[in-house]
Order: sequence, then structure tokens, then C-alpha cells
Amino acid sequence: MKQVVFDNVRKVFRHRPALFNWVGRERTGETVALGGVSFAAAGAEIIAILGPNGSGKTTTLKLISTMLLPDAGSVQVGGFDSLRDSGKVRRQVGIAVAAERSFFARLSARENLDFFATLDEVPRSERPRRIDEVLSDTGLEEQADTLVRKFSSGMYQRLGLARALIKRPSVLLLDEPTRSLDAAATSHLWDTIRTLAGSRTTVFLATHNFAEAAALANRVLLLHRGMLLEDRALRGRESADDLRDLYFQRTGGCAPGARDEALGETCRMGAAS
Amino acid sequence: MNSILDKLLAILRRDLLTAIRYRSGFVMTLVGVLIEVAAFYYLSRAIGPGFRPNGVEYFPFLLVGTGLYTFFLMSAQAFLSAVQEAQQTGTLEVLMTTSTAPAELLILSAISTFAGTLVNFAVYLFAGVAVFRAGTHADVVSCLVVMALSLIIALAIGLFAATFQVAFQKGSALIWLLGSGLWFLSGTMFPVQSLPQPLALVGRAIPFTYAIDAMRGALIEGQPVAAMAPALGALAAFGIILLPLALGSLSFSLRRARQCGTLSLY
Repeated sequence: MKQVVFDNVRKVFRHRPALFNWVGRERTGETVALGGVSFAAAGAEIIAILGPNGSGKTTTLKLISTMLLPDAGSVQVGGFDSLRDSGKVRRQVGIAVAAERSFFARLSARENLDFFATLDEVPRSERPRRIDEVLSDTGLEEQADTLVRKFSSGMYQRLGLARALIKRPSVLLLDEPTRSLDAAATSHLWDTIRTLAGSRTTVFLATHNFAEAAALANRVLLLHRGMLLEDRALRGRESADDLRDLYFQRTGGCAPGARDEALGETCRMGAAS
Repeated sequence: MNSILDKLLAILRRDLLTAIRYRSGFVMTLVGVLIEVAAFYYLSRAIGPGFRPNGVEYFPFLLVGTGLYTFFLMSAQAFLSAVQEAQQTGTLEVLMTTSTAPAELLILSAISTFAGTLVNFAVYLFAGVAVFRAGTHADVVSCLVVMALSLIIALAIGLFAATFQVAFQKGSALIWLLGSGLWFLSGTMFPVQSLPQPLALVGRAIPFTYAIDAMRGALIEGQPVAAMAPALGALAAFGIILLPLALGSLSFSLRRARQCGTLSLY
């Protein structure tokens, strides 16, 4: 059975104008974040979602997590529909978003994890062991009893991952998980992701880092302006450069500094940023 | 049931730890309570012993009215602040992805918030009685019944404020209404009967009026539950109507926010 099924999903964000919009101009109309996207993912897959800013990567993750609900089409996780059975979907999904600050600042890392584990209905007897486990997985053992308001960006990010792991999700959603991490922490996280995929967890990885996608993913989804341009299995031979070429070729931009053969001139920054 | 209790305890623990780690805030709240009670004590002395609204001394009358009204106001305000803060830090979105249903989570959070404001109310009354010698003849059972019904009303108001915040990012509008518009209509500082007839009628349509009346009867005059049946009946009726309405509105606004992508907008 497929673990995650996206069936012709459409998501539009409407910009409602302010009252007296002539006083200060505010954008009106709508943004099509996803315009009918379909794919399915099985257990043990690590799927990298690539795409320029605003292409729909984070929206895709939020739709799987039920933070957002689709306007049309359906999202299913473990056979449950995100609209009809959102509770059952949430039980299976862990999410860690980029620029993580979503913790209770006056609680320690351990206290935060204990709080979220309780809401995720992790049995009381198991909680201490699981907290120690995820703190170790994310290299936060020494900061376990530090108030999170004293954390650096990288530590916040690691704690976000620890929180996503504590319920042992069958689907793990990671939005730029290594953006603020140092090299050692990044390598440790990559190992953790590989181990999780080895235990049948489906991992979605929204990233701008081609090296990360090439190192981890066995499949790539390429989004651009809310459309799925590419859904390609990787065989482990693709390099970061191969993915970069695919990205610029399909999104219509080109790598900064590279020469556009057709025009015979140096490319300006394309759609990617 | 175990799971719900477990979650409630986790939320209470979170809020307690947060409160005591804001050391200065905790102390300032207590000092603020004492100053407020002192102000009302000297106001009642300035007005003199001749003014006996509903036949009771003015200071205990003020103490119960302002204390209970502040409890309602602070409960809604504290709960709203918690929702706003969760929106600003992004915690609200993440909380909505836990295995706990969103509405359940917000109700448990509200209960925890109200535990804090209830302690505040108790300190307020204690300061009035122990420090400033407010005369009371409490019927404990009646006081507990009135408090339980008041908590239901406070919960409903808090959930409405959260609904406004999630739906329009303007829960503070409701707090403004409570803080500035309703206090003088609900008999907080003088009897509702002193108002012109149309305003007195409006006052009778506000649940706080019945809660304050009933608490005065229970705490100052020691009235038994049976003697306060009409006020308690009215309070219960408000609770039966308002709480499901607030829950329904909140569930709807949360679902709509997830549909529109506005859960974390503030």
C-alpha cells in the first residue's frame, strides 16, 4: 500500500484586500500554490522535493501534515483522508519546519519534548526513554535541561527534528532540515534519515541543497509555480550537479555564472534563489 | 479519560513552569492585586458607610464585583494572549499537527489558563478579607456552585476570544468590549437597578450580572443554593447555550484557518 497519496491536489491562497485599499495598495487576487499535483509514495522512500522559492514545497508538506487542507483533490496518509480523518493522519505524521522557533521558550528541551510527547499520546511509561533516544539522535543530550530560549538556531532546528521523531511517525516531513546545522550535525542527521528510511519510514525532504538531495534521496519531485514538473527515481549515481542541471533545465532558469548556450551570454539569476 | 487527564496535567505543568520562571511577572501580579484591593477599600471609605447597595456594606460589594469581573476579563485575556503568542512563535501550527484534536487542545489550555486566574481571584478575595477586613458570611457550597458555573461562562468567553483571534486576528476586540463596555452594565461597582430601565434590561442579558449577583449572595450574605435558584438557573442556561456555541465556532474557525492557510497569521 502507498503510504502517501496526493491525488490532483489544488491549493489556492486568496489575498483579501484591506478595507479602504486605496489608502495603501495591498495585493488582491489569488496565488495558486499547487495547481493539481499528483504523486504517491511508499514506505522506506526518501523523497527530495526541489523547487524555487514559492514553488509549493512547504505547502505540500503542510498539506500532508494537515496544517493545511486541500481545496480540491485529496491527500491520503496510510489510507486515511486528510479532510475526513485528519486525527488518524496526524498520528502518523511528524513534521519539522525550517527556521524553527515553535517551542515554549521558558521550558527546557526535555520539558518541551515531554509536553509534545504527551499531546502525541506517547504512553507515559515510554516517554523518558523516547525523549533520551531522540535527544541522542539529534545530539542534544548535553542541552537537554537548558531552557530553549537560550538555544542557537541550529539547536532549535535539531530540537524540531527531535519533536518530529518522538511519536515514531511513519511519514516524516522535513523542511530544509540542515539549513542551520554545522557539518557534523548535518552528517549525523543524514545518518538518522537513512536509518529511519531503513525502518520503513517515508521521508519527504524539501530542500534547496542539491548535495543533500543527491546524498539521501531515492526519488526527486521537482515543483515549479505549483506544478509538478518532474517525478524521477534516483539510482544513487546522480550527483549534485546532475540534480542542479535538471533543476535549471526544467524550471527555465540557469545556474548563476553559467553560460546560456542559446543566447551566448552569462545567465542572470534564474527562477531559483 | 486517562489520556485527557494526562494532557491536562502536561498543560498545567507547562503553564506553571512558565509562570514561575517569569519571576518578576509573578511577583508583580501579586503586588498588582494588593494595590487594586487597597484602592477599592479606600474608595468605599471615601464614599462612607451610608451607601449600602442591596443592603450590604460597599467594600465587600465592590470586592466581589470587581474580583469576579476581573476574573472573567483576565481569563479571556490570558487565554487570548496564549493563542496570540502561539501564532507568533508558530507553536499553534505545530500543536495542530499533534495527535490531540485541535478543539480538545484549546479547551484543555483554557482550563489551565483559568486555573491561574482562579488563584488570582482567590488571592484577591483573601487580601480583601484578611488584610482589609471585608465582612463576609460565606456559604461554601453556594460559593463553589457559583464558581463552577462562572468557570463555564469564562471558558465560553475565552473560546469566543480565541475564535475571533483565529478567524479575524482580532480577539482583542472582544476583550475591549469586556473591559470597557460591559463592566458598568453588569453590576460590578453599583447595582444594575441603578441604571435606566433599558440599560438595566441589557445588563440582565449579560451572564456576568447573574454570576456577580450570585457570588455576592453566596459570599457576603451566606445564601444557600436554593435561595439563589433563579440566578443559578439563569447562569446555567447561559452556560448551556454559550459553551456549545463557542466550541462550534472555534472548531469552525480552526478548520477554516487550515483551509485558508491563516492559522499562524496575526
